[in-house]
Amino acid sequence: MQPPVIEPAAQPRGRIDVPPVELKWHEHFGVLNISLLLFLVAVLCSAGVLRGSGRDLNYLANIRGFLANFFPPDFSVTGQTLLGLWETIQIAVMATAFAIVVSVPIAIAGAQTLSPRWLVFLSRLLMNGIRTIPSLIWALLAVAIVGPNPLAGVIGLTFYSVGYLGKFFSDAFESVDVEVARALRALGARTIQAFQYGLWPHAKPLVWSYSLWMLEYNIRAAAIVGIVGAGGVGLQLHSYQEYYQWDKFATVLLFMFLLVSALDLLGERVRKQIVRKAVATNPR
Amino acid sequence: MQSDSKLNQVRSPGGAEAKSLPHLSIQGLGLQRNGRWLFRHLDWEVPRGSVVAVVGPSGVGKSSLLNCLAGLAAPTEGKLTFSCNAGCLHEAPDYQKRVGIIFQNLLLSPNSTVLRNVLCGRLGRYPWWQTLFHFPRAEKQAAALLLADLGLADHIHRRAADTSGGEQQRAAVARALFQEPELLLADEPVSNLDAYLCGRILGILRQEAHQNGRTVFCVLHDPALLERFADYALSLDPMNPEKWRIREIHAASGH
Repeated sequence: MQPPVIEPAAQPRGRIDVPPVELKWHEHFGVLNISLLLFLVAVLCSAGVLRGSGRDLNYLANIRGFLANFFPPDFSVTGQTLLGLWETIQIAVMATAFAIVVSVPIAIAGAQTLSPRWLVFLSRLLMNGIRTIPSLIWALLAVAIVGPNPLAGVIGLTFYSVGYLGKFFSDAFESVDVEVARALRALGARTIQAFQYGLWPHAKPLVWSYSLWMLEYNIRAAAIVGIVGAGGVGLQLHSYQEYYQWDKFATVLLFMFLLVSALDLLGERVRKQIVRKAVATNPR
Repeated sequence: MQSDSKLNQVRSPGGAEAKSLPHLSIQGLGLQRNGRWLFRHLDWEVPRGSVVAVVGPSGVGKSSLLNCLAGLAAPTEGKLTFSCNAGCLHEAPDYQKRVGIIFQNLLLSPNSTVLRNVLCGRLGRYPWWQTLFHFPRAEKQAAALLLADLGLADHIHRRAADTSGGEQQRAAVARALFQEPELLLADEPVSNLDAYLCGRILGILRQEAHQNGRTVFCVLHDPALLERFADYALSLDPMNPEKWRIREIHAASGH
């Protein structure tokens, strides 16, 4: 049996306006397409850098020759390397801890939902300024001030991390609905209490997840800042490179690779676990 | 309902005598929104410990009236006065602590446990450093007792986001009750609940009003519930902002 058909009430024909099916040529140019086009133009203009030195070099032989220096890795420096790595981790942990403490107030000042406009502007300006300077340069600056030691690494990475964490935390605070905190204010809570009980529980998973990401990043970065003298395993890398001890260099690289891979695997899992619940309840 | 000793201190003398005292004095209150008057010239001496049902069609300004009473929106004209030693309502420094609100959209903290959400009702009683790490144990006990009374005993340690709509609504009611306010403003506190829980929650609100002298303003839609639980019905007229009406209801006693 046919199901009953419900038909729309008869409408007078010829009065329906059909919108034009084809877009006009200029309607195709949204931000996406324009930026894509600009990028293609940029690719064409930049091909010149592929020229190299212009000399006739045997690239393959160069690679082979260079890599051969790495083998076999000289494991006699294992103990020293592990100590260096340990120092690298210590630098990263301290820098991350300082950066978290410093970033939270800066991030609150930089969250549009929490602070007046002028403060948001100042705070964002500060964080953008910090971010424009690479971690290596911050470390160089710190070495100039406190001398070539791990403390310089901590100071350099702290500055660099504040630029990033401040921005991430700001975004985390902005993604939280402030209505709950406002409601608590209306029930008599003080501003700090409203923040702690109405906003923080929601921002905490994001804040902590970003912090773990920063720790991961800092461990990688701390291995490099040693090159400018700021402690950690980078110092070793630098000296082995200076004296062409590539077999020892290879050992250090190998251990760094192991550490960073382990971090990558572990960190991502932990962070996913933390954020999963936060995202599930986030209103936006 | 509660056996907390603190409760008894807050309790005002209940019964008919206290009820005759005006508690909240509304004088010529008027509120304008988007250039339109929602209500005007609202005058009423609200007796202490009465349950007032605010009724009227959607968009008539019921929630706005509650916001006005809560101090979240400034009235366009007129004055609100608490008779109990607080003076002008909005000028009293601890005024927010005296007013409990059950928000229409609940506004619980979804990542916190139900217990913690309820404890938030008493944040105003403590300076911030005392609640920085945890609440006093006695407060937790009292909150757990209240939650158990509302049938949420199994959920106190669950995140608010992991509970159902009805459970969240009861948690929001519990937060407001835990505050022990003198004026309780409830914006559709039973919209997500079944008939049994509706009666239960409204019964508790009525009991709080009559026994502990808390004045309750409650937005209600169901006329049957209104007849059962309210002492007064304040109806707003969408056509004429000056034609509000207050009707006394002689509810069947026994709740």
